[in-house]
Amino acid sequence: MQPDGSLQVEDTVRGVLRDVLGLSAERVADFRADTPLFGALPELDSLAVAGVLTELEDRLGILIEDDEVDGEMLESFGALTRFAAAKALR
Amino acid sequence: MIDHYDWAGGREAMLRFGPATGPVVVAALPLFEEANRTRAFVVTILRLLAARGIAGALPDLPGQGESLIPTHKTSILKMQDAFGFACDKFDREGRNCYAIGLRSGALLDALALAVGRWHLAPQDGPQLFRELTRIKQVELGGRPLGDSWYFDNALPEEAGDPPVEIAGTPISTDLLTDLQVKTPFDEPGIPRRVVRLDTDPNPADRKVDAAPLWRRAEPGNDPALTALLADDIATWVRTCES
Repeated sequence: MQPDGSLQVEDTVRGVLRDVLGLSAERVADFRADTPLFGALPELDSLAVAGVLTELEDRLGILIEDDEVDGEMLESFGALTRFAAAKALR
Repeated sequence: MIDHYDWAGGREAMLRFGPATGPVVVAALPLFEEANRTRAFVVTILRLLAARGIAGALPDLPGQGESLIPTHKTSILKMQDAFGFACDKFDREGRNCYAIGLRSGALLDALALAVGRWHLAPQDGPQLFRELTRIKQVELGGRPLGDSWYFDNALPEEAGDPPVEIAGTPISTDLLTDLQVKTPFDEPGIPRRVVRLDTDPNPADRKVDAAPLWRRAEPGNDPALTALLADDIATWVRTCES
């Protein structure tokens, strides 16, 4: 499935965070661009980070290089969505 | 019922469900942490299969569950070998075995005398290796690790390579090397059915609408999904048997 718009990418990112972190649909629906992720969500440990990135790759049909994985992309919901959209919509 | 089976490396426990005759579904859990996350899920599927008149078994493989073999002493070959012995136990009774594998559990049935294989969201070795590398990369602060990161080049060559710890599990370097060439068993003429989640774009015989329980630290269970999968397996086994 190749989402063709940024809203679909945002929905996919919400879906991945819900599924991997075990968050409720209501909680992820409330995520805004400045909602902090890495360091703020206790569920987001190293296993979960790998799970989030791999699920994003699978669901968006993208490839995330090792040197692209850093704290910045995971800093906030907006940062992660922008990163995913830049990959998926290029 | 808690049973056991013997293999070349010792004796392991095996949970058994359902009738004492007829075909047996033998399940392989994924490797490492995902095994813990999916055990209750698989046990539920096997119980539901038993309620549908089909026997099931969940063998502990070396390095998994209650096995006395530590995780860093196991290998893909040992796990495949042990899984094969678990299936042999039923084969000797004249019962047909069907292997079911979840995720990387689909890598473990290659040596089994199985009439068919049913794989849920199968993950191949290179995919798992990539994920393990990524976990370690995050654990170490994010710096890219390169391809052969798990070898300690500071050690003398004859010292042997110590296991590496990934997400709290010590894993042998041989297993990590081996993973990079392992794919699920898929031979022409031998029935194989692949079921995936509908968020997974890879080809499958069936796609189901569900969340990936194996990704969650506290996965819980999914009664609708376990019932749907038990029905799918039961129908598939009966088709293969007819």
